[in-house]
Amino acid sequence: MIRDFSLIWQSADRLLDGLINTVLLSLVGAVLALALGALLAIPLMASNPVLRLVSRGFVDLMRCVPFLMLTYLVYYGLPRLGLRFDNWTAGLVAIVVYNTAYMAEIIRGIWSRLERETIEAAVAFGFHGWRLVSRIILPQIVLAAGPMIGNQLIQIIKDTAFLTIIAVPELTHAANSIQAQYFIPFATFITAVLLYWALCMLVEVGVYAVERIAEKRR
Amino acid sequence: MTLNAFLSLLNGAGVTISVSLAGIALGVPFGLALALLRWQRVPLLAPLATVYVSLLRSTPAVTLCLLIFFALPVIGIEIDALSAAVATLALNTAAFNCEIWRSGLMNFSRDQIEAARTFGMSGPLTFRRIIFPQLWRTCLPSLVNEMTLLIKSSTAIAVIGVAEITRAAIRIGAQTYDPLPPMLVATGIYIVLVLVFVGLQRFTERVYGHAGGAA
Amino acid sequence: MTDTASESRDAPVLAPVLEISGLTKTFDDKVVLDGVSLTVARGQTVCLLGPSGSGKSTLLRCVNWLEKPDQGTVLLCGERIGMRPGGVVPMGNAELAKLRMRMGTVFQHFNLWPHLTVLQNIIEAPVHVQKRRREEVIAEAEALLENVGLADKRDAFPSRLSGGQKQRVGIARALAMKPELLLFDEPTSALDPELVGEVVAVMKSLSQAGSTMLVVTHEMGFARETADKVVLMDGGRVVEEGGPEEFFGNPRTERARQFLQRYVSA
Ligand SMILES: Nc1ncnc2c1ncn2[C@@H]1O[C@H](COP(=O)(O)OP(=O)(O)OP(=O)(O)O)[C@@H](O)[C@H]1O
Ligand SMILES: [Mg+2]
Repeated sequence: MIRDFSLIWQSADRLLDGLINTVLLSLVGAVLALALGALLAIPLMASNPVLRLVSRGFVDLMRCVPFLMLTYLVYYGLPRLGLRFDNWTAGLVAIVVYNTAYMAEIIRGIWSRLERETIEAAVAFGFHGWRLVSRIILPQIVLAAGPMIGNQLIQIIKDTAFLTIIAVPELTHAANSIQAQYFIPFATFITAVLLYWALCMLVEVGVYAVERIAEKRR
Repeated sequence: MTLNAFLSLLNGAGVTISVSLAGIALGVPFGLALALLRWQRVPLLAPLATVYVSLLRSTPAVTLCLLIFFALPVIGIEIDALSAAVATLALNTAAFNCEIWRSGLMNFSRDQIEAARTFGMSGPLTFRRIIFPQLWRTCLPSLVNEMTLLIKSSTAIAVIGVAEITRAAIRIGAQTYDPLPPMLVATGIYIVLVLVFVGLQRFTERVYGHAGGAA
Repeated sequence: MTDTASESRDAPVLAPVLEISGLTKTFDDKVVLDGVSLTVARGQTVCLLGPSGSGKSTLLRCVNWLEKPDQGTVLLCGERIGMRPGGVVPMGNAELAKLRMRMGTVFQHFNLWPHLTVLQNIIEAPVHVQKRRREEVIAEAEALLENVGLADKRDAFPSRLSGGQKQRVGIARALAMKPELLLFDEPTSALDPELVGEVVAVMKSLSQAGSTMLVVTHEMGFARETADKVVLMDGGRVVEEGGPEEFFGNPRTERARQFLQRYVSA
């Protein structure tokens, strides 16, 4: 067993590459999905029924489809639309498309529960447009959404492991190739699991910090 | 797509369903056992359960599946792909189910437990006769919600070659050199599958009240 | 103060701070405001009374165009609110904001922004809407907090304050805009009875210092002692208006007598 882990230590750079890809895919994916989700929340909250129906349809569809399946659809479907991406980018596109729906739903939920009065007070004080959104509405949403966005980020980190199936060189893929080379599956996958654990713990620490900030304001 | 191809997709759906149901059947009681250990603060075992839940909740199903399938034989436990698949889903869902059961237990009224004590009921008897009959009702909506998530993550078992629905679609795509149509049909079947569970969840919510904050 | 009031009513040299005329508002067939006219001269405190549902809040909301009236005009220092000169083209949000920032509103339920501290609540709009210098606004805000007796709560979050304290922050927040007109919508009705006094005291001193105020209230004591003019609304109309002595001592209409019997019997 000690020998196994020392073999892993020798392949640490490959594992690290995988870890970096996992982090990159998750973070870039989450940030893009959050931004697009915030935009998508607007039609979800719109008074126009057509806008609402179309955006809701997309969100509900994504919530019914497993991530792996969407990944395959993106992977095989994009070339049909004349878009050729490498596997890494195809994986990122899948993460973004999928999680935009989840982020939008999180933001919509919080937005609809925000106290209308605090927004109205801001309007009465002369806030409007982007400044109203960025100074009054968004900060309140971010504080309330911290834990939910954190959970979604953890979900994204875990979903990136599916990308090994389309040969994206993320953490699980790296672990799998190391174990296949040296045939030390136990040590490699345990190491990978512990690395995922550490990542998720980091996210939870971040969420905890946001929660502390939000707590004082409740 | 030929009828044969469609039938093999349905066959894949059958595998998805049966493996998922097996995972649920094992994972739900296992989750309850973990929750009870933590609720009762059983020395040694309770902290172990806490670590288990934290670890498993952050482990991707794909990685867990590979770990079980490739690593168990190394330490002398032979396991076939199907059993590894069931074990993956069960171990994974148990961690989430534990949180659901535990929040149900924490919210259970102390008064009722004390009342049972004053009637001389033992701990296990109180659990069986008083707590559990109410507990499962309050937890059911959240449990069904978790089952929906399990169905969605069950595609992970494709990674060790179990011929579940995505795997079946890939295989057909490889034969016809046209992967998109079988994948779209598979997606359609999946949506129906998930909608059945969502419907079940709505039903349990209506009958047993809203899903709690757990999961 | 009363002098200026009667002067401005008899001989309007300057345009009144607020001039509402013929305001009408219906919510799906329900007439809530039915031709309301009302003026508030500079330095006046006008108290708006009336039973629940008589349209008082709606009137205030029409003044800062949170609610768009169906008919009638609202003039702030002679400038039309909501419509561009000519009265056909509605104002855009930016134009409305320019007028809104000249009024300060105090809400029944405080409506403080929960993600900001007391000080941040007060400086938020002056800094980000009026674009005034931050240091200058902070200095003023601290002075305002001193005036309402909350200097020590500068860095607290609203959730940690009592209702009375919240409302005093609400008043300081409105004052920080250096508004030409202060609007109060039942500022004390959400407060526990023992907390009403502290808020009323702040409002009285504002009135004595010459602020122009339109106050919806059920505090008859405040109206009697502080108002330059009392206006009674019922069913979306102004049914009586006059100085506090006549209004409370010798109401002209039967409706006012009934109202006073109900509210001032105590
Ligand atoms: N957005 C709205 N949609 C429909 N009806 C409304 C709306 N806002 C107010 N109303 C109705 O208009 C009437 C007047 O309401 P308003 O809030 O102006 O009364 P008020 O005099 O402020 O009463 P209170 O003393 O209870 O605050 C009420 O009957 C109310 O139900
Ligand atoms: Mg009102």
